[in-house]
Amino acid sequence: MPPKNLKRKATATDGTLKNTACTSQTLAEQLSYLHLPRPFKNPEYTKNLNRRAKNLKNIMGQERERERAEREKRRLEKAEKDAMEVDGKEVTMESEEIPTYLSIEAPPSVLPHKHYCDITGLEAPYTDPVTGLRYHDKDVYALIKEMSASTAKEYLSARGVNSIVK
Amino acid sequence: MDIDVQPSDDLAITPLPFSIIPSIPPSPEDYTLHRSQHTPIIIDNGSTNLRWGFATSSEPRYGPNIVAKYRERKTNHPLMLFGDAVEVESGAKTQAKTPWEGDVLLNFDALENALDYAFVQLGIDTPTVDHPVLMTERLCSPVHSRALTSELMFEQYSVPSLAYCVDGIMSFYQNSQFSGQPFVSDGLVISFNTASTSVIPILNGRGVLNNAKRIPWGASQATDYLLKLIQMKYPNFPTRVSVAQANWMFRTFCSVSTDYLSLLRSFEDPSILRSHQKIIQFPFLLNSNPLTGGAAGNGDEKTEEELARITERRREQGRKLQEIAARNRIEKLQQKESDLTYLLSLRDNYSSSATKREWDRKLREEGFDDEETFEDTLKKLEADVKKGRKKEKEKEGGTVDGEDVDEPMEEPSFPLVDIPDADLDPSSLAEKKKQKLLKAGYEARLRARKERELKAIKDREEKAEREKQRELEEKLDSEAREADLEGWARKLKGEQEALMTRIKDRAKRRAAMSDRKSAAKQERMKNIANLAAADEKMLGGSGTSKKGGKGTGKGVGKGTGKGRKGNAEDMFGADDADWAIYRKINTTTTISSDEEEDLAQLQQIEHKLLTHDPTFTNQHTHASIVSQRSALLNAFRPVYEEGDGAGNTRIHLTTERWRVCEAWFSPSIAGVDSAGLGEVIQNILSRFGEEEKGRLVKNIFLSGSPSQIPDIAPRLYSTLRPLFPVEMPIEIRSANDPALDAWRGMAKFAKTEEFATVGMSKAEYEEMGGERLKRWWGSNWNGGF
Repeated sequence: MPPKNLKRKATATDGTLKNTACTSQTLAEQLSYLHLPRPFKNPEYTKNLNRRAKNLKNIMGQERERERAEREKRRLEKAEKDAMEVDGKEVTMESEEIPTYLSIEAPPSVLPHKHYCDITGLEAPYTDPVTGLRYHDKDVYALIKEMSASTAKEYLSARGVNSIVK
Repeated sequence: MDIDVQPSDDLAITPLPFSIIPSIPPSPEDYTLHRSQHTPIIIDNGSTNLRWGFATSSEPRYGPNIVAKYRERKTNHPLMLFGDAVEVESGAKTQAKTPWEGDVLLNFDALENALDYAFVQLGIDTPTVDHPVLMTERLCSPVHSRALTSELMFEQYSVPSLAYCVDGIMSFYQNSQFSGQPFVSDGLVISFNTASTSVIPILNGRGVLNNAKRIPWGASQATDYLLKLIQMKYPNFPTRVSVAQANWMFRTFCSVSTDYLSLLRSFEDPSILRSHQKIIQFPFLLNSNPLTGGAAGNGDEKTEEELARITERRREQGRKLQEIAARNRIEKLQQKESDLTYLLSLRDNYSSSATKREWDRKLREEGFDDEETFEDTLKKLEADVKKGRKKEKEKEGGTVDGEDVDEPMEEPSFPLVDIPDADLDPSSLAEKKKQKLLKAGYEARLRARKERELKAIKDREEKAEREKQRELEEKLDSEAREADLEGWARKLKGEQEALMTRIKDRAKRRAAMSDRKSAAKQERMKNIANLAAADEKMLGGSGTSKKGGKGTGKGVGKGTGKGRKGNAEDMFGADDADWAIYRKINTTTTISSDEEEDLAQLQQIEHKLLTHDPTFTNQHTHASIVSQRSALLNAFRPVYEEGDGAGNTRIHLTTERWRVCEAWFSPSIAGVDSAGLGEVIQNILSRFGEEEKGRLVKNIFLSGSPSQIPDIAPRLYSTLRPLFPVEMPIEIRSANDPALDAWRGMAKFAKTEEFATVGMSKAEYEEMGGERLKRWWGSNWNGGF
């Protein structure tokens, strides 16, 4: 049993009791469960505290590496198998690809993109050569001309065009 | 969040909802029911919500998957809050952590805390969690995430067995009609999640995961996109719109349009656009100063009296400062006077009686090097005192002309000037020179004064004359007007239009100047080139051509240096008309004097028209025409007056309502480089045979909370229908309870006998490690065994 929190065990499991017992507890304290006993945790388990929480980039990198390694291995195996040329009846279990997080990501679209106005959202037959924004009609164009460069960049970044130069 | 708003009936205004204070959660279950029962625990680990419960319960418990470990400011108690409770403390909100980052489980600590809460709520008080656990994973979850959870489960909580599943498949299981038999069903599951949308084909009761696809667009990306659109549309909005509010707006107002293009085309008509808009009213302060912000809530309501009081106070302060300054001045003056008298007395005392040496010694005592400096300082002091006295008299007497005070002063006399040079000795000669200079200066000053007076008189006369002329004109004008109002108005309107076209042309010209290749720029270059043309023949005389090409060199000018070519003299600039060329060459965009004249004239004409002509209203003035926005833009983003507190804190959602949801079908409009739902489904189905395609398409199933967006199913149907032969029936249905069905499916499955076979036991974990899992029909494939 974890050494702490033994005293509070009786009252703490029932959240409603706290209302009547302590008057000056804030709502947050009542909702907190830090002091509730958690006997189900294994006290001997020590988290590897030295391990830093990996961020998304690292994990994706790892996945990619792993995938590459898998593919290499599979290719080697297949090459071996072909070289051995055993009874053709051997069916590999792994004839299907194992999907990984990255492999099932949808590919980019091959359909032609429809142009929508960056400002109003309506259809945009025209593009402004100076800023690159798409616009719906001449009034929107007047609006674009008055815009500052930073506003224009914001609109572009909403569309995913992150131009660094201009 | 207080709301001061009266919703008007003709506009569809919705106030922002109150934020709900979380209540004390229900007390944990009584554990005695499940003690030693080994009831499976079902945990649906979602990016937004965590749902958990025993398999035997009918309803899971759930809460937002956020944990905050936080030290309360006042009492210094450390706290740990989960889910809704995090909203209670703003300090906790900033420190809130969630185990998920988008689609990937990252934060080990947060997950541990969340699971702690879950188990505490279940009332578990045994040394280990002695129940087999069934948990969800993302589709093809990265093995790192799985390793995290497995490690937690087995080592921290010591569960006997653990099984993973994919939430979409379990939701499908829950909704397929069968009873008790093994699960055999076909269908295409479209699982809408927080940060992604996945399409999973299921054949013969097994997920065919190698043909599944995931689109990185989900509810959280949609919320962010909506927030960005709102921020760009309202850059000067008084309050900050938070992500949570944007989420509420997304859930309440956004929907998919069944035919996006025709919807957009119908919006060409501003009235239709207006009828489709939804207005959200943010809280604001009444009588608020727009500068301090409508809903900033600093309580600075300045009423009339307050303003008057403030100005009074300022005036008082100004007056006090003036008094202090005057007092200082007087003090300094007095000090100087006393100094003067002292020095004078000194001089009188000593220069008369004592010897030179004593006089020098005394001077040095006082700090003067010799008599010269002494005399100089004396003179300076005298002059200062005189000036000071004069100023005092001015301030008190209130005379404006300093010159008047001059008069009583005696005319300075220059005696030595008249004596001829020969009679004087050298020192007197020097004196005489000085006096001559002084006299000349004095006379010049007198002359200047006289000229000024004359000029003032003349100015006054001229002004009177001009006044008379103007009155005459006005009389004529009013006579003309009374005689024939229409004709007069027409004439003036004509003039106004001419002026307006002139101004517009000038503006156009200026705009064209900035474009490198326009005709205006080319003409300009031609002008410059002509000016610089090295012509021997002098084009002389006055500028005959418009271009005014003149002279041989650009005598003044655009940086070609001295441009005198040949021996012809540079006659540029002799004629005033030459300088007109600079009007054409100049590219700076400041308003030139011409424009100012035009504008002034325009204003006069408009003023006359406004006062006398009933048909000419403010709409027709130049200012309003220039600032007029199209009806469409006005419907899109109405502009409210400055002082309209309520109006300025409204958000109008028009096209954004459909634009955001359209991104599911073409994510490229929001910058995500991925195929949309329709295309992805087409891709996936193309990998199957015809017969299997038919089976899949007949049973398309939508699951996940975002699938509750209205009109998704009709839109999907109209997108898919053209892709398949007409005989193939397409049926789309959604889950009965999109949010909780995954959990329910898992609970249902956990009660079957098959459940015991799919879990990974602790021994297997220790042998294989945390990255593997036991593969079954509802689980992922990567790392399976």
